[in-house]
Order: sequence, then structure tokens, then C-alpha cells
Amino acid sequence: MKQKLEQNIIPVTIFIGCCFLFFWLFYNPVKSFSEGVPGLDNRPARSASSEDSVVIGEKFISYVPAFTTSLTGNWPQFRGPGYDNISREKIKLIDHFPETGPVILWKKDLGEGHAAAAIYNGRVYVMDYDERKKADVLHCYSLTDGTELWRRSYSVVLKRNHGMSRTIPAVNEKYVVTIGPRCHVMCCNSVTGDLIWGIDPVRDFKATVPLWYTGQCPIIDNNVAIIATGGAALMMGVDCATGKVLWKTPNPDSLKMSHSSVVPMTIEGKKMYVYNALGGLFGVSAEGNDTGKLLWKVKDFSPSVIAPSPVKVGSNRIFVTAGYGAGSALYQVTRNGESYSAQTIQIYKPAEGMASEQQTPIFVNGYVFNIQPKDAGTTRNEFVCCKPDNFKNILWTSSTTDRFGLGPYILADNKFFILSDEGDLTIARFSTSKFEVLSKAKIIDGQDSWGPLAIADGMLVLRDSKQMVCVDLKVK
Amino acid sequence: MDNTRKFKRREFINTSLRLGIGAGLGAIAIGLTTRSVEGKTLWQLDTSKCVQCGNCAISCVKQVSAVKCIHVTDMCGYCDLCSGYLRSNPKDLNTAAENRLCPTGAISRHFIEEPYFEYKITEELCNGCGKCVKNCGAFGNGSLQLQIQQDQCLNCNQCAIARTCPSQAFSRVDRDSPYILKGFESKKSKG
Repeated sequence: MKQKLEQNIIPVTIFIGCCFLFFWLFYNPVKSFSEGVPGLDNRPARSASSEDSVVIGEKFISYVPAFTTSLTGNWPQFRGPGYDNISREKIKLIDHFPETGPVILWKKDLGEGHAAAAIYNGRVYVMDYDERKKADVLHCYSLTDGTELWRRSYSVVLKRNHGMSRTIPAVNEKYVVTIGPRCHVMCCNSVTGDLIWGIDPVRDFKATVPLWYTGQCPIIDNNVAIIATGGAALMMGVDCATGKVLWKTPNPDSLKMSHSSVVPMTIEGKKMYVYNALGGLFGVSAEGNDTGKLLWKVKDFSPSVIAPSPVKVGSNRIFVTAGYGAGSALYQVTRNGESYSAQTIQIYKPAEGMASEQQTPIFVNGYVFNIQPKDAGTTRNEFVCCKPDNFKNILWTSSTTDRFGLGPYILADNKFFILSDEGDLTIARFSTSKFEVLSKAKIIDGQDSWGPLAIADGMLVLRDSKQMVCVDLKVK
Repeated sequence: MDNTRKFKRREFINTSLRLGIGAGLGAIAIGLTTRSVEGKTLWQLDTSKCVQCGNCAISCVKQVSAVKCIHVTDMCGYCDLCSGYLRSNPKDLNTAAENRLCPTGAISRHFIEEPYFEYKITEELCNGCGKCVKNCGAFGNGSLQLQIQQDQCLNCNQCAIARTCPSQAFSRVDRDSPYILKGFESKKSKG
């Protein structure tokens, strides 16, 4: 009996062991897990687009062919004549709004977006998107009364994506250059509106339309339009008179167009175009025989979305910032013979120092002024000041009583004019030691008043997501 | 012989009284029990006070918190770059795990048409950590919001999360209005 039992124990034990072994081998404890891999969202490989059929500048309507004006004030591009958001006109502006309220000269309904104005000799230029007609429309208005002088447009299909229009034209006495939401570049006669040329950087240079559409504002430098396309060319210079591409900067790192704009700077005695692309910050020669040559680049601060443009702070330092948790970085560009390089001075997150999500800071009198982003901790959405030797050291803020959201601001007649998200315009005395509000008034009722401000001849042009307003700020 | 048992009057009355008393006591017991559990109020957190500290994920007495992320779809921008779905500075804007923010993979997205994506919450996977809510509020429209899912909440007398909430966002709300959502129309949508 005992022997029989012992005879059975061994095979039973082996059988049970085999069962466990098979169970261990074939049981999958993570069978309910799924791999997190690209493509689970059914995004098509290549989205349908009607870009190939776009005829840039195809339509034109002239309303006031014989318009004349004596105004000579200029805000010719994004951030004004000096690319610094400072008006240097000698026109005295009000400290306080009248008791009867701000003097509104005119209002215009626009397509949903944040595209703001450029002003040149009494004419206001706005690159709008007409959702009903499905067209990019360049409007030219009279600065004094808002009368539309002419419009040039072309059909292009867009869908709402947190607004559609975002760019500001560049204007001089001969030309106006625009970039549309899908990157279409158009050049017209700035007085008559006659079409001169159009370029499609997506079709011709393999540029990528940024998220929420184009935010880069073009610049005109010596009658050459400067566009940072990304794709097949990092940057290019286009002759405004002919549309001929004069130079192209190679793009071996495949950097992409951001919402930032090209800023001319002179560093170490060399004029250069500085651009903060998706993938890196770089400087391109803007003068001499090597115009268009890449001088330097850095890639250690590379946010997914960049809206603010680079700011030159001091003789050879460049401050860059971006939203969505990215923070800011400070670089120093140095020259060694004929070569240039950029060294990182600071990189930090938004809660650690000065940062911006949309607007570009102002550097003046050795201080930097800015509105903090939503993720800046206790200083969120406050107007702040710091010195460029240490952007982590905020000297003062507008405090919790004055928060401005993502609104734009400008310096004119020694006063800051700051527009809040909700359309409240604050006049604050320029000071490097404290924030001092002089006056505040509701200008516009809408939401997302993010379009940059433009001022010329004492008239401030601002907008919310659907309407543009001109306010007379001159002292009577 | 007739085997059918006939109730006497006394026996009938006694039985009826016993059944009546038993039924009455049962009804009282059920009523008391029901009232003690349900009450007239429920715990809920006020989204306008919530600071997304992460306590909801770890303080709830339930093994997986009864606090879940709710998607108020009428506030959503349907963005490709969704700050509630993708981590800060993602390598690519796609569904790869290394680009996603949610630690449990509770948010999924689906392409609708260029350039829109629809985002959904898988409630079973959500642990109420609030990471997506924090980022959506900071950079997006704030359409992702934390709420106590009332069908999962035990409605404890002393809510363990409420005791640790640093922003005093928890309070008892009327049973007829069990959710406190902010938004255009405050529609609740679950994936």
C-alpha cells in the first residue's frame, strides 16, 4: 500500500509541476495592456488640402482710389519701426481717459483671429480671413475714420482653430507684404493695392503650416521681404519689386516655422536676422557678401510652440521665451574672427522667472518688461520687470490687482498701454521701480484681445478676436 | 377524514398581528438604513477652487479614487496639440506613450477632420490625479475638469479627500445638483 502511494506521488507531483510550468509560460498578466504607439488616433497620413489651387492675390476691390492724407506716422510692421514695441513719436498722449470715456474713432468687424494692424502714412493694413467667403483678405483702411480704401483677397479654405488670422503685414512707401494663415506670401503696392507677386512656401519650399496657422509676421528690409519658411529653406530674402528669391539659407536640421517672427539685430558689429524656429534659435547674416549665410545656431531651448520673438537685451545677448510650460532662455552671441557662436546663459521654467506665452517683452533703458504666462505661479498674468543680467530675479510686479491675461502692451510717450484679455486698456506710468496705474477703461467687449497693438499719429489700433477698434489717445 | 387545517379566529388574529409588527419593524429598519446612507446631500468638488494638487488620487478611501476627470466637450478646442493629452514639449504630436501626459493612459483621442481631434476619458482607467486638468487649464480652454463620480462615491460621512484638500474645494451639494462644472453650458460627457 505504502509503496503504491509512493509510486503515485511522483507522477502526480510531476503533473502538477507541469501544470504550473505551462500556466507560468502561457499566462499573460498584462494581456489587458495596450501599446502606446503612434497612429492610434486614426490620423490620416496626409490630410486633404486645397492649397495647390490657391491663386494668391486674385481678387481686388478699390473703394477710394483718390485717397490722400497728411498723416505721416508709421507703425510699419510687427513691434513697430524699431522692432521693439516702442513708439518714439513726439506726440503727447493722454494720462487719463476722459470722463466721457475713451474716444473711439472707428470700429471694424473682422474674421475670428488675432491679426493686428500695421500703419503707414495714414493707412491701416490688416490681413484678415473672411470666413463667409473663405478668403484671405488684405484690408487697407483710413487711419482717421476707418474708411476702407481697398482690399485684395484670394480664396483659401480654412477651418476655425482658435482663430484663423494671426499675422501683421509689413509696409513701406512702396510695398506691403503679408503672410496668410496657410503661409501664402503676398506682395502688393502699398498705396494702390496692385498685386506684385505671390509665393506659396508650402508648395514651393515644403514649409509646414504651424499649429493654429501662421503666426510669423514678415519684415521688409531694404525692399527685400524676409521670410523664415522652414522646410527647404531656413530663411529667404525675396526682392519686393520682382518676387525673385535673392538668397536662401539651407536648412540641414529641418527646422520648422514657428509663430515667432524674424528680428533684425546688430551683434558684435554684424547685422543679422534672428529667428526662433521650431527646433532651434539661429542668426543669419543680413549684410555684405555673405547675406543669407547661417552665422550661428543653438538647439538647447526647443519648445513645441513659440509665439514671442527674440529680444536683444544688451550688446550681444538674446532673450527667448515661449509658453505651454517651456519657459525662457538667455544666450550670448560672440564673434571669433569670422565665425559666431552662441552660449547659453540661462534656461529655466516659467515659474522660475520671466517668461511669456504670446507677447514679446519690451527691453528699454536696461530693463525688461513683460506679462507673465498662466503657468508662472504667483506672478501669473502680471506685468513684471527685471534686469537682463538675471531673468530669474523679478524686481516688481503689477500685483494680483492688475492681471492682464495674454494681452498685448506697448510703450509710447513714456507710458505703457496694456490691453487685457477682456479688452480693458490700462495706462501705466513708465517706471523701472514700480507699477503705477494712471487710468483704465473698457475699450472693447469681446474676448481674447491678443492682437499686438499699433500706434501712429496718436491713434492706437487694437482688436479682440472679432473686432478692430481705433482709439484717439492724443491730448486735445 | 378531512385533513384540511382550519384557522381559528384567535390563531388568525395572532398571526396577522405578528406579521404586521414584523412588516412594520422591517419598514422602519429599511427607512433608517436608507436615510443614513443617502441623506439629502452628496460630496462634490468645486472646479473653480480645485488646484489639481494630486490629493484626490491618493486620499480617497476607495482603492481607485472616485474622483475622475470629466471632459466638458463644449469647451474643448479639439486641438492637435492638446496640453491635457500631450506632455509639455512632446517629441511628436501623436499617440506614442512617450508623448502622452496621462500616467494611466485614460485619455484617448481620435482624428475627426483636419485639424480637429476628439478626446475621450476612459473612466475605469482614470485615477483622478488631475495632471491633465492642470495642463488643460493652464494652456487650453479648461475643458478637462475633476469631479466626484457619484455612482462610485461611497458618500462617506467624513470625506477623506475633503479633509486633506488644500483649497477647500470639497463641499456637500444638493442631491439634485450633484456636479459643479464650469463651462459654457456645463454639459457632462463621459468617454
